[in-house]
Amino acid sequence: MSRKLPKYFFNFVCLLVYIFLLAPIVVVLLSSLTTTEYIVFPPEGLTLRWYTELIEHPEFMQSFTLSTIVAFGTAIISTAIGTLASLAVVRRQFKGKTAIVQLVGSPLLIPSVVFGVALLQFYSWIGLAASPLALILGHIILTVPFVMRLVVASLVGFDRSIEQAALNLGAGPMKVFFQITLPIIKSGVIAGAIFAFITSFDDLTVALFIVSTDVVTLPVRIYTYMQYQYDPIITSVSSIMILFTIVLMLVIERVLGVGKVFSSKN
Amino acid sequence: MQAGIGTGHDLLLQQKKKNLNKKRLDTWLLLLPTLGIFIFFFLLPLFFLFITSFKNFDASTGVGNEWTLQNYIKFMTDPFYLGVVWRTVKIALLTTLITIIISYPVAFQISRSKGRARNYLTLLVLSPLLISMVIRCYGWVILLSNNGVVNNTLLKLGFIDQPLTLLYTELSVVIGMVHVLFPYMVLSIMGSLEKIDPSVIRASQNLGASSFRTFFSILLPLTLPGVFAGSVMVFSLSVSSFVTPAILGGPQVKVMSYLTYEQVAVMLNWPYGGAIGFLLILIATITIIAYSKILARSEKGVAIQ
Repeated sequence: MSRKLPKYFFNFVCLLVYIFLLAPIVVVLLSSLTTTEYIVFPPEGLTLRWYTELIEHPEFMQSFTLSTIVAFGTAIISTAIGTLASLAVVRRQFKGKTAIVQLVGSPLLIPSVVFGVALLQFYSWIGLAASPLALILGHIILTVPFVMRLVVASLVGFDRSIEQAALNLGAGPMKVFFQITLPIIKSGVIAGAIFAFITSFDDLTVALFIVSTDVVTLPVRIYTYMQYQYDPIITSVSSIMILFTIVLMLVIERVLGVGKVFSSKN
Repeated sequence: MQAGIGTGHDLLLQQKKKNLNKKRLDTWLLLLPTLGIFIFFFLLPLFFLFITSFKNFDASTGVGNEWTLQNYIKFMTDPFYLGVVWRTVKIALLTTLITIIISYPVAFQISRSKGRARNYLTLLVLSPLLISMVIRCYGWVILLSNNGVVNNTLLKLGFIDQPLTLLYTELSVVIGMVHVLFPYMVLSIMGSLEKIDPSVIRASQNLGASSFRTFFSILLPLTLPGVFAGSVMVFSLSVSSFVTPAILGGPQVKVMSYLTYEQVAVMLNWPYGGAIGFLLILIATITIIAYSKILARSEKGVAIQ
């Protein structure tokens, strides 16, 4: 009995932590259903009014579309160039390799705010206006470090004799890459793309400096809206984003398995 | 004959050299897209901002023409700004400490569970990473505001007569930050927990050690590298984070990243904003170097991750 007690206590502590983790998310979801004009939790009454009212706020939909385009662009470019660079870093010996690895990893150490300021100054000097491209370029910098970490992890311990065999049997280097190498490192590449997508979709800090009045990503839209307004519209927008993420995660879980995606992280 | 062999040998060498050159070219082609983007859209902008931080402020153009150290001197001699530095570091330290304490049991529980339960627990712990940071912080705004959930509950239970000021305080920033950075610590501790051979724990128990003793003399020392690695990550992310302090602290709880943003976006004082930004980078870098030095000294021979 006395041996059991610490175990109960331990499980109780874990439960508290899980509640702490879910609390803000649950609160947002439930308070989007309130009938009141202001945000209240627990919600008073149940209504989907705040979802239908979104129709009168097309700017949220525009921002959602923009964010999705930017996140897709970032994920595709970042994964493509990050995978190529990972191949060079893992398989080739060359001068300045350490310096390059450090350079490519350094966005993780540089505060995004500073990078955002620097990028805004640079863009205004070269005359690049706020656009999906301007946002994608910034987000590539933020996401390549993640992509390379994941892809490098899946390339280490790769048995290269399979590639050699294919080459000896007369396959061209391109064919070897797409039919042998890529399928084997697939899980690392996909995990990298997912990370890149989420990071880009979620970014407020860098986007805050780059956006203009008609090019506004969803996080920036929500952030500026809630500075002036405290109505449940924000909670309904947020709930849609949360559900979107949950569906995305379930699909990934079905296709890949969460354990697999994250086990390659370290 | 002799000459023939010589040329053959030369040809072979030439061929080898050609292959090597081709390989070298390949390598740079692989690196080129990433390197190009990083040089143009990362190094150059930061370099220009660094130069800007040594310029004077000009009310009409933002950046003046004179060279000066004034931006750095102003920041490092003004008690208000030094207070902001201290607050930034204090919030990061508190966040790191609390994250370690609450991550440990969860990491332990996940590393002990198996199959489906393990998948779902992992998903639960990582879910904060996947849901937009702005939304999560917004959830904390709803929870912590004056007529929010926490205050209402406390009022109803009769613990307090007046709502407590929870939002826009250092406390609310720390709470939000712990929530955001928690997964990094759990992943890091889990990594080192999984490297422990279960027979070591069994041996300790068979030899009569209590679970308390097993934890403090076996588990904790063996997982310290993971805790250290996680702490570096959480501390540096928390020092430089912007979203959480901006939403849950705002102008009332100014940290260095918010100050950078304010100087540039509100005051339009680019040189000063740049200088604060580079001091922030300096603090984050020093911490990481100091931490890895400590790590190397205390954990000789124990590989991290």
